[in-house]
Amino acid sequence: MAPTLVNAAFGALLAAALLGAAFDRRSVAIVVVATVLPDLDAVASLFLAGATNALFHNVWLPLVVGSFLYWDTALRGESRLRQRHGWYGVRVAWVALAAFVVAGVGPDLFGAAGANLLYPVHDAYYLVNGRLLYSTTDGTIQTFVEWGAEGPGILPLESPGTTGTHFVPSWVNPDPGTGTSLDAERELGLVGSGWQAIVVAAAASLLAIRFLEERRTGAESNSTFRQGEE
Amino acid sequence: MLLVVVLPEVDTLLGPVMPGAHRTVGHTFVLPVAAGILLYYDTRVRGSSVLRERFEDRAVRVAWVALFVHLFAHVFMDWAHLDGVNALWPIHDRFFRLEGEILLSTADGFAQTFVDVGLDPETGERRIDAGGTGTTETVHVNNPIEPDSPENLVGREEIDRRFPIANRGWRLYLVLVGAFVVVARRFQGDPPAEPGK
Repeated sequence: MAPTLVNAAFGALLAAALLGAAFDRRSVAIVVVATVLPDLDAVASLFLAGATNALFHNVWLPLVVGSFLYWDTALRGESRLRQRHGWYGVRVAWVALAAFVVAGVGPDLFGAAGANLLYPVHDAYYLVNGRLLYSTTDGTIQTFVEWGAEGPGILPLESPGTTGTHFVPSWVNPDPGTGTSLDAERELGLVGSGWQAIVVAAAASLLAIRFLEERRTGAESNSTFRQGEE
Repeated sequence: MLLVVVLPEVDTLLGPVMPGAHRTVGHTFVLPVAAGILLYYDTRVRGSSVLRERFEDRAVRVAWVALFVHLFAHVFMDWAHLDGVNALWPIHDRFFRLEGEILLSTADGFAQTFVDVGLDPETGERRIDAGGTGTTETVHVNNPIEPDSPENLVGREEIDRRFPIANRGWRLYLVLVGAFVVVARRFQGDPPAEPGK
C-alpha cells in the first residue's frame, strides 16, 4: 500500500489542477477525503480476508459511481446534483471521482503492492511495473504491458497473486488473516522514498500558496458558485 | 511551462566541455532561490515592477508558477533520482541525493532515514549525512549525450545512447497523470457567467 499521505498529496495536486473556479477549502477537503477512501478497505480486511487493496481498489466502484454521475448530470433533464449544489457541486463531484481513481487507487496499481482491479468478479492483484525507453542500439523497449504474463491475472499486466496468496500489510491489519491482535508490530508509512517526499512537499506548498492567495484576494468569487448553503 | 521543465537539461550539452556539468549547472538550488529573491524584489519591494510594466499582471503569475514548476517538478525530482543534484553549486560543489523513508512504527516510534545524524565511529565527532554522493570530479550522471563517464567511453566502438521515458511503474504513473490532467481540463466546461446556476 502506498502511504496514504502520498495518496492525499496526489489528491491535493489534482484538486488544484482540476477544480478551477470551484477551488476553495471545502472542495479541496472533499477531494482529499475521496483520495483517502480506497485505503479504508484495510479496515474491512479485519473481517473479510484479503480485502486490503481489493474491496475499494477495483474498477467497478468508480464505474458505477461515474455512470450514475453521468446519468444525473448529462442524460436526465433535471440534475438533482445541479439543483441542490449548482455548478460547484457537479465540478467537485467529478474531480472527487477522478481523484478516487487516479490519486487513491493509481499509486497502488503503479507501486509495489498492486491493486485487485477486477475484484470480486475475478480475483487477482495487478501492478504496472517495467520500463519504457528508447535506445540507439536496441530501439524502443517496453515491458509494462505483457500479454500472457505469468500469474493468476487475466489482464496483460504483472500479477503478484490473489487475495489468498498476496497479502498487503497495513497499519490496521499488519499480518495475514482477519481479526486483530494488540501486540502486533505495526508500521504506518508516511513517505516511502525520495520522490514521494517531493510529491508531499509540492502538495503542501501548493495548497499553502493557493490558500494564502485566496485569503489575500478576499475569497470573493469562489464561494459565489456554491448554491443551497444557508 | 513544458519548456521550463526541459530547459535545465541543456547542461548535458556542457558535459563534453565541463566535467560533471550535468545535474550541476541547471540543477542547482542557488539559481531558483536567486530568481525568487529577484522576482520578489521586482514585484513587491520596489515601487514599480519592470516585469509588470513591460508585460502585464499575467506575466508575474506566470513567472512565479514557472519558478515553482522548475523547483519541484525538475530540480527536486532529480534530487531523488540516481546520484541526485549538485544542490549548492557554485557555492559548494557537492552532489546530494534524497533517499529514505518516514514511518511510524509501534517498535521504533517515529523514524526517518533521509538525513543520517550520528557519531563518527573513528573520531567520535557528530556528523550529518544528508545523502552526499560526491563532487563534479567524482560524480557523473549518465545521460544520452554522455551515456557513461568520459574515461569509460574512450575507445568504445559502439555507444548505446538510452533515452529513458519511464523506468519504473511510478514514473509511468506520473507521465499518465500529467496527460490525464491536460485531457481532463480540455473536457471541462467554463463556470457559469451568472454565479449559482
